[in-house]
Amino acid sequence: MEYAVEIKDLVKDFGTKRAVDHISFSIEKGELFALLGVNGAGKTTTIRMLTGLSKPTGGDAYVMGSGIAGALSEVKKNSNLSPQETAVAPNLTVRENLQLMARIYGASKADASTRSDALINQCGMTEIAEKKAKLLSGGWQRRLSIAMALITQPQILYLDEPTLGLDVLARRELWKVIESLKGSVTIVLTTHYMEEVEALSDHVAVMMTGVVKAFGTVEELKAETGKDTLEEAFIAIADQESVG
Amino acid sequence: MKAVVFADRNAKELLRDPISYIFCLGFPLVMLAIMTVLNENIPAEANMVIFRIDYLSSGIAVFGLTFVMLFTCLQIAKDRSSAFLLRLYASPMTAAEFIIGYILPILVIAVLQSVITYTVSVVIGAVTGYSFVIGRMLLALMVLLPADFLFISFGLLFGTVFSEKAAPGLCSVIISVSAILGGIWMNVGSLSGGFKHICEALPFYHIVEAARGAVRGEMSGLASHMLIVMAYTVVVFIVSVFLFAKKRQQDLK
Repeated sequence: MEYAVEIKDLVKDFGTKRAVDHISFSIEKGELFALLGVNGAGKTTTIRMLTGLSKPTGGDAYVMGSGIAGALSEVKKNSNLSPQETAVAPNLTVRENLQLMARIYGASKADASTRSDALINQCGMTEIAEKKAKLLSGGWQRRLSIAMALITQPQILYLDEPTLGLDVLARRELWKVIESLKGSVTIVLTTHYMEEVEALSDHVAVMMTGVVKAFGTVEELKAETGKDTLEEAFIAIADQESVG
Repeated sequence: MKAVVFADRNAKELLRDPISYIFCLGFPLVMLAIMTVLNENIPAEANMVIFRIDYLSSGIAVFGLTFVMLFTCLQIAKDRSSAFLLRLYASPMTAAEFIIGYILPILVIAVLQSVITYTVSVVIGAVTGYSFVIGRMLLALMVLLPADFLFISFGLLFGTVFSEKAAPGLCSVIISVSAILGGIWMNVGSLSGGFKHICEALPFYHIVEAARGAVRGEMSGLASHMLIVMAYTVVVFIVSVFLFAKKRQQDLK
């Protein structure tokens, strides 16, 4: 089995508070992996550590074979993220935003132009390509934000609650974009939405108070908890936590 | 290379914001025109020269730089408050590339702003009967270069340390202080006592006097003024870069 990400005993403390508590799991190459959990479960902190935005207190993680503790620059070259909040340059057009990110990751001007053209087509952004990012709707901005991560051709793409705050239609549109990426890039998705996980993910890790409480496919989690839906399975795992 | 790409983005962000033109260009030029009209109405026996175009041009050029500081500060504070900077922090960009990317476009804008201010001053001078010497104006532009860095460094400092809401207020303090204590709107040279000492202890008066001296061909005090300005520039630049790098590290904890 080839792994894109191998997390080994990762810990993150903020002062006296432990946000991530000795987590260990692996993510296969090319799969869509979902990190599920309530607010404050440690999902975003885990993503921040994996992308070099936060230093681990302990443990290590290997991203395409490079350790986040010792080879962060290699890790950064191989991965990219679309943060929880929309992260676009407001006065730049959609095309300019894409080209900016490509060039910051080392693409030549010509290459950045070719890649942005292709991605604009792939993400259905042809009509808004010359529009300033600040003038786009929330759904389009989120789509652009993901495209800005994709244009750097990452081997691993982290999507931190990509559909948060979007209406149903915009969310479904974004699902299509994410689904179209499956297989070509390893995707790590954090979300609160169970239906999103059911629809998109190959494997799921459920985090509670910084600890991985359950790990497997959606069907495995349902079977383990004896529940019919992922939402019920999630509640059962959460209840175990609160009882424990 | 990444720094240049980031600088290009910052230039576009600034140049596509109409407020930049109003404050960085429109406001100083309007002040130049208003003060020229005011000067025409000051009786000669008042012996007040600071609003005469050969004095005023440099004062307004420095006044314009204070708004460059404001926009440097706003750009950085805005980026810090948005997830866009987070995205760039996750990229292979280094702290040095961030700083160069912020400073480069604003430095070009600052120089262009001074060029435009002096060019308009030449036109006003032609109307009011004063002939500028172009060579001296070029010297004034060079004299203002450390000041460009100084105001940009102040912008970097405030944008790094303070929030998007607090930073503009602090910049307004510097704008007011530099205008008053720098002798843009009053003749500091005619003052005496503690107030004059305060003016002389700060860099703003020396920036204005150095630029005025260059434009008027009065080179006697130029070196000492420049020395003080450059000392301030080096200190403020080092402090601002240090704090920016430190803040970035804190954000990545």
